[in-house]
Amino acid sequence: MLKNYFKIAFRNLWRHRLFSFLNILGLTIGMTACFLAFTYVRFETSYDDFQTKGDRIYRVVADIKTPTEVINGSGPSWAVAPHITEFPEVEEAVRVMSDAILFKKDNLKFNESEVLWADPAFFTTFDFPLVKGNPKTALAEPLSIVLSETLAKKYFADEDPMGKTILLFGDQQPATVTGIMNNVPENSQIQGNVVISMTTITKKFNAGLDDQWGNYSPYTYVLLKTDSDAAALEKKLPGFLKKWNGKEMDQLQMYPTLFLEPMKDVYLKSTRGGFVNGNIKNVYIFSIIGLFIILIASINFINLTTARSSDRAKEVGIRKVIGARKKQLVLQFIGESIILCMIAFILALGLIALLNNSFNELAGKVVSTGIFNNLQYVFYLLLVALGIGLLAGIYPAFIMSSFKPVTVLNGRFATGRSGNLLRKSLVVSQFAISTALVIGTIVVYTQMSYMRNQDLGFNKDQVLVIDAHGDSGAKALKQNLRGLANVNQVSLSGSVPGAGNPSAYSEIENIKGELQKANLDLYFVDFDYIPLYKMKVVAGRAFSRDFMTDTTQAMVLNEAAVKMFGYTSPEQAIGKQFKQWGREGKIVGVIKDFHFRSLQQQIKPLSMRIEQGNMDYLSVSLKTSNLQASLPTIEKAYQNAIPNQPYSYYFLDEFFNRQYKSEEKFGTLFLNFSLLAIFISCLGLLGLASYSTMQRTKEIGIRKVLGASVSNILNLLSRDFLKLVVISFFVAVPVAAYFMHKWLSDFAYRITISWWIFALAMFIALTVAFFTIAFQALKAATSNPTKSLRTE
Amino acid sequence: MITITELEKYYRTEEVQTIALNKLSFSVQEGEFVAVMGPSGCGKSTLLNILGLLDDPDGGSFVFNDIEVSGFNERKRANLRKHNIGFVFQSFNLIDELTVFENVELPLIYTGVKTAERKERVHEVLEKMQIMHRRKHFPQQLSGGQQQRVAVARAVVNKPKLILADEPTGNLDSSNGNEVMDLLTELNEAGTTIIMVTHSEHDAKYSHRIIRMLDGEKVTENVLAEFKSPIPPAPDTSAGSAQAGEAFTQADKAH
Repeated sequence: MLKNYFKIAFRNLWRHRLFSFLNILGLTIGMTACFLAFTYVRFETSYDDFQTKGDRIYRVVADIKTPTEVINGSGPSWAVAPHITEFPEVEEAVRVMSDAILFKKDNLKFNESEVLWADPAFFTTFDFPLVKGNPKTALAEPLSIVLSETLAKKYFADEDPMGKTILLFGDQQPATVTGIMNNVPENSQIQGNVVISMTTITKKFNAGLDDQWGNYSPYTYVLLKTDSDAAALEKKLPGFLKKWNGKEMDQLQMYPTLFLEPMKDVYLKSTRGGFVNGNIKNVYIFSIIGLFIILIASINFINLTTARSSDRAKEVGIRKVIGARKKQLVLQFIGESIILCMIAFILALGLIALLNNSFNELAGKVVSTGIFNNLQYVFYLLLVALGIGLLAGIYPAFIMSSFKPVTVLNGRFATGRSGNLLRKSLVVSQFAISTALVIGTIVVYTQMSYMRNQDLGFNKDQVLVIDAHGDSGAKALKQNLRGLANVNQVSLSGSVPGAGNPSAYSEIENIKGELQKANLDLYFVDFDYIPLYKMKVVAGRAFSRDFMTDTTQAMVLNEAAVKMFGYTSPEQAIGKQFKQWGREGKIVGVIKDFHFRSLQQQIKPLSMRIEQGNMDYLSVSLKTSNLQASLPTIEKAYQNAIPNQPYSYYFLDEFFNRQYKSEEKFGTLFLNFSLLAIFISCLGLLGLASYSTMQRTKEIGIRKVLGASVSNILNLLSRDFLKLVVISFFVAVPVAAYFMHKWLSDFAYRITISWWIFALAMFIALTVAFFTIAFQALKAATSNPTKSLRTE
Repeated sequence: MITITELEKYYRTEEVQTIALNKLSFSVQEGEFVAVMGPSGCGKSTLLNILGLLDDPDGGSFVFNDIEVSGFNERKRANLRKHNIGFVFQSFNLIDELTVFENVELPLIYTGVKTAERKERVHEVLEKMQIMHRRKHFPQQLSGGQQQRVAVARAVVNKPKLILADEPTGNLDSSNGNEVMDLLTELNEAGTTIIMVTHSEHDAKYSHRIIRMLDGEKVTENVLAEFKSPIPPAPDTSAGSAQAGEAFTQADKAH
């Protein structure tokens, strides 16, 4: 019996090649897209799963309330970790900080960008297994260093690195290798390929940090004892802070509150940042898109199968007459649908294997090392595929198996109206999903282009930024660069837009004449900074070499800062007093707000001062538009002035836009999935159109004999389908509008969703649908009516 | 074998109710060959569908092999059908995706016959119908006569007690038609009961008895040949009847 079913299934597939092809192609693409989306979702939700104590690890984060705002920070103060172990619930406390440091060993010199600083309990709290070395003591001593296997190979090749030395920060600090660790898994929220003992900082470079309560920074994790209550511990933390730091808090008027974030929620759910961050919204979005796409593909299957059911009616009738029971027929048809799904499944697996690398590239990380490396996952996917076969097959199976032999064999059979209605509503839902995805894609891309082309309030074109690594040769380099022919201006600063900046505890005289305490973003700049970036001075003046005191006693604020201190116009703030990080002086100017962070964030209050140290960046404004040509001379100048540091540079416009990398990736993924959705929907439409054209061959013939023109016929055949596309558009609009509005709300600076986006989406859907149908319709419309009438 | 009493069947559309069978009664003995004739729309096909357990009557009684079957549900009907009744249609109704062999094999599959026995029985019946050499062909590759022989083979492979034939020669030319009629006659002579619906007086003459219908009612009944139950004597077959058949065809044309 089974053999018979298989035979009939395969012969049917072969006889109706076009339908089989459309069906299998749709299902294959659908499964591929859906499985890739699931793979991504699965990877994103797998973060830190390998941490066996993960359920007991919490990240300690701090909100800091100042008189003007609440800062949602990520790291608490340095003193929290050493002191929080006084609670009996806390087994370990570990501070972890990331850094980029120049490593040197013999002739090898690299700027390592994934360096971690960590407290001694790092390897006993987290599951980062050591290949060599003792996890309990590896990070105990200052200047101890644990390399990943990759880095060990890079610096020591086949030598045993244990006990050997690597020079940190150029050649200043010799660190001893005390361990080799496995490479950190891709799905870890803590990312690094080398760990240096935190005691290097807290005991050697900056002794006393362990008792600094007002100095915030490193990520702090606590490992709680089994059966400890995190919520109860969290309630005790305000008292803990008050006990140790109450006096200072009142004095500075900065009141921190500590919270415990479960480690396993940090990657996807925390809004406070981290080493790497995911986004739970994206996980939801891709799960939904994956489901939608497989839904569209299954709908194709249902539509094509039920549309063709009248072809199979005769077979059903005969089988029933001969003795088949309904159950047997249902099984037969479901079996056929499962066979189709299995063919599609195998093809999809092949496609996924082929696309593995491009998909990783698209996702920006190694989401999957290859589908066949995880057979258990393949098995789950197989179950999904079987499920699709079952679900998509069950409706057509019941429809077809309930045909009455008397009716179908007498030739009085016609496909019911209800089936037609169902097909129509399924087509509407397919196109509604596709149109919604198209609207989404257009919104994402419009927002991206808005962010890229928005006036940022500073000049980002033809500006080259060189990382001087805080080297003392930076000043000499600045002088040298100024002398180059292609160079307009050069500025040395602590921060450039898009690169992050410190914030400082500050006291500024407000409108009432009081010194108001605040946490202000801070840019260390020089005299050339404001003119180089063409920032607009709206009141007072920029820093000037004409004023001797500007190097220590002058501050420039942005408009947002001026507003924060209660001034209604920028002019009011000029000449007011400031205190910041041990400096005192007067506000000399106010600049127009500029976007020093991405457009996702509001422009925050910012202060600028001239300071001698901490100058990492050289901004070079170039004269020609042929920027590449000036690069070699600049590099040469760098090598002369800063011989000990690796040369690295970037163009500011590209660098600033790199902040939108994850949005861009999101957009690309979104675009790809929408295209697939449309494509699969059109496959289904193509099948239905060709089928309905086939069925109406006689009608078309009669109409032509009676004088219908080609365009009449074309109109007749496409009108019905296009109507469905239009209906689906009205279903899609409110849904898409709602969700895209929500998505946009993450951006402080965003587009409004205007009517043309919807119009464009509708135009795209209609055009694509029309061309899909028109091909079939035109074929029928131009055929000779005598031929079509003869088919009767 | 079959007794129907006051059998009724209506077809309803939204406004009109059509009577297809109007209190029809007759019976058929085991081993009999009965032809049912009448103009289009007289209820012949409806009758055949009910006799074949494909359709349910709206009234009256239908006793098959001493069992009242008019109230049977679909499952019971299917069960009774696959063991007892074979069908031959005007349009052959072979499954296009299956070969000759597979088409004939199908009823055996549904009655759960084992593979080896299936093969044997299919071969046997194909030999008898003289289409063994075509067993690997698909229906579209055969002539109409050959297709109908396959259909007959399929109808008898399960050794049914009753064969219902709906215009079995309707799509065939006269010589192919006669071959099929001869086949049916042979089967009947071997003991199978046959009820055949036909428009053709010529075909009807192969039967023992002709029931003529009009508007869902039996109008006349002609007995053509004496029928002795249960097994009729074997008259001389083939050559003689074929000639007779041709003579009738010519006579029809002359009219």
